[in-house]
Amino acid sequence: MNDSYLETLRAALAQVSGFIYPNELELQWSILIVLYPYITGLVAGAFILASLERVFNVKSVKPTYRLSLLVALAFLLIAPLPLQVHLGHPERAFEIFMTPNTSSAMAMFGFVYIWYLMVVLLVEIWLDYRREIVLWSKSETFWPKRLFYKLLTFGVDNISPRSLEIDEKIGRALTVIGLPSAVLLHGYVGFIFGSIKANPWWSTPLMPIIFLFSAMASGIAGVLLFYMFLCWLRDEPIDMPCIDTVAKFFLTALIVAFSLEMLETLQTAYEAEEHFDIIALLVEGKLYFSMIFVQILMGSLTPMFLLGLAQLFDLPEKVRKVFYGASAVLSLVGIFAMRWNVVVGGQFFSKSLRGFTTYKMEFAGREGLLSAIVLAILPLFVLAGLLYLLPPWGERAGKESATS
Amino acid sequence: MKDISHLLRVAGIFVLVVAGFLVVRHFMVPKSFGEVGHYRADAVDEIRALKQHYSGDAACPACHKGQSQEKAQGGHRGVRCESCHGALQEHVEQPKSVKPGKPKESEMRSFCGRCHEKSLSKPPKFPQQNLKEHNPGIACDQCHPAHKPQ
Ligand code: HEC
Ligand code: HEC
Ligand code: HEC
Ligand code: HEC
Repeated sequence: MNDSYLETLRAALAQVSGFIYPNELELQWSILIVLYPYITGLVAGAFILASLERVFNVKSVKPTYRLSLLVALAFLLIAPLPLQVHLGHPERAFEIFMTPNTSSAMAMFGFVYIWYLMVVLLVEIWLDYRREIVLWSKSETFWPKRLFYKLLTFGVDNISPRSLEIDEKIGRALTVIGLPSAVLLHGYVGFIFGSIKANPWWSTPLMPIIFLFSAMASGIAGVLLFYMFLCWLRDEPIDMPCIDTVAKFFLTALIVAFSLEMLETLQTAYEAEEHFDIIALLVEGKLYFSMIFVQILMGSLTPMFLLGLAQLFDLPEKVRKVFYGASAVLSLVGIFAMRWNVVVGGQFFSKSLRGFTTYKMEFAGREGLLSAIVLAILPLFVLAGLLYLLPPWGERAGKESATS
Repeated sequence: MKDISHLLRVAGIFVLVVAGFLVVRHFMVPKSFGEVGHYRADAVDEIRALKQHYSGDAACPACHKGQSQEKAQGGHRGVRCESCHGALQEHVEQPKSVKPGKPKESEMRSFCGRCHEKSLSKPPKFPQQNLKEHNPGIACDQCHPAHKPQ
């Protein structure tokens, strides 16, 4: 054993309190595993927002439709990366497809991911943009871009009304399939935690549902924020009826997510099983700041209050914009804290229910803060690339002249 | 027909991708995969062919009758020879050229302390001593023979 290792061990041991088992000293699911459900949550939430327009015909959120799809795609492309970096063997990732283990939820998820990416999201985006892609493949002057569009037309530049009508129908059908797929995609993440019987902080059948609603809240908040930011960047007026409606759904998702989680907590507290003492200590101690303050006060109650005010009173446009933007930022932070509290919080206490370990995040290591930050920012670059290639703002001039 | 040709092409690409996947899979999945379980059956033979490091206690009495008999009668009867002397398969095969280690007299206290240092996490019945107080400065085997401790 080398000295630096002993030094780390000693420092870690000093942070331990009570009794823990030797293999609990080091937390295995690091910040990258916090990031992973956060990113998939954004994907699912953004997609569900998009399907509001398509499936449920909520016409007023139309301006965010394409943006939501692109946000979902950008984050979905990056979603597996935290896992790859955490496991450290990207060359083996392919094997879960080669020799699928049907009894492992984690392994089967690879197929859910591929299904959602290839069949739902890519095809839906392609169908929605096809008319523009064909037009751009002729009008674009910058040749690599033109080539890209040319390839995407797959050699067919038929944009007759009939063909577009068919596209529209199939796109709708895909969204109908996509909705349960998005639910599956994120419900699965909650399922993984919810089904870990050994951990009382995780093991609850409500977990997938709680994850799902917080995912919707975060996805909607993300799209709302991107939309407002892009309008500002492009010097365009924000479509107020649109963001008013988005904010309404945002509030709904927040309320449902929050009440489900509080119900769950209440139930745990009332049942007060043998693990409750340690959970109470966990919430009062190690998770006090990230749970009571960041997740609940800052990330749930404040945005609910702000969005509620905007619903109840006839506030001026400026104030509403500020309220919406602030709520979105706060709940994005709050939902990250929620993922943290679930993932890291669940590993703080010993299986013996008699002690706590600690999590000392590295800064520059493979699973350190730096790689988490890089992975969190990466989707924004992907999104910028997508916005460059497939600008979502052409559509109002395009196929639908009716602005509602 | 003309109006769905783009869709047919995409569908065609999907079929190609799936077919390509199946072909790649055919070549990439190891031959013996799944014969016995969700793993490569050949791996069992490969693991068997790996170099063995530990020989186990049964190999020692042939040449070290004394220590083996002593150990069998004392408190360390349940402790493997190799937990104190290290992995010895090579020594069993070539006793002359591969000489096993044994704890040095100067390190004896920390060596025995590995297992016998007092700790709350050990079962109370396990023989343990606070080494700071238990006859400090004298090697343990002066009083407790390593092979037959009392
Ligand atoms: C084939 C006979 C043989 C077997 C089997 C064998 N040894 Fe040895 N061992 C020897 C010989 C011979 C020596 C002396 C080597 C020398 O001094 O050069 C020795 C030396 C040792 C020593 C070092 C003694 C010293 O004074 O440094 C230890 C310890 C030892 N053996 C342990 C074991 C253990 C434990 C096993 C069972 C896993 C074992 N041996 C199996 C033949 C054997
Ligand atoms: C609890 C630890 C321990 C175990 C178990 C143990 N030994 Fe030893 N052995 C020692 C120590 C310490 C020495 C050197 C000092 C001494 O003899 O007290 C030693 C020395 C030896 C020697 C060198 C000759 C000698 O007596 O000094 C041989 C040979 C040996 N052991 C063989 C064995 C064999 C064979 C076994 C298994 C039957 C075994 N040992 C199990 C600790 C152990
Ligand atoms: C690999 C761990 C290990 C090492 C190293 C070890 N022991 Fe032990 N020792 C044991 C175990 C196991 C027992 C039996 C405990 C029991 O009976 O429950 C034991 C028992 C004992 C006992 C009590 C015997 C009895 O009859 O009650 C003494 C004394 C002892 N060891 C001394 C030593 C000394 C001296 C050394 C260093 C040469 C040593 N031990 C090294 C594991 C170890
Ligand atoms: C000066 C002689 C002496 C030395 C050196 C010594 N001990 Fe002891 N040890 C004893 C005596 C005598 C006892 C029994 C009385 C007692 O419990 O204090 C004993 C008891 C023990 C016991 C409890 C045995 C049992 O059956 O419960 C253990 C374990 C032990 N010693 C380990 C060690 C270890 C390890 C070392 C080296 C770090 C060591 N001793 C050094 C004399 C010694």
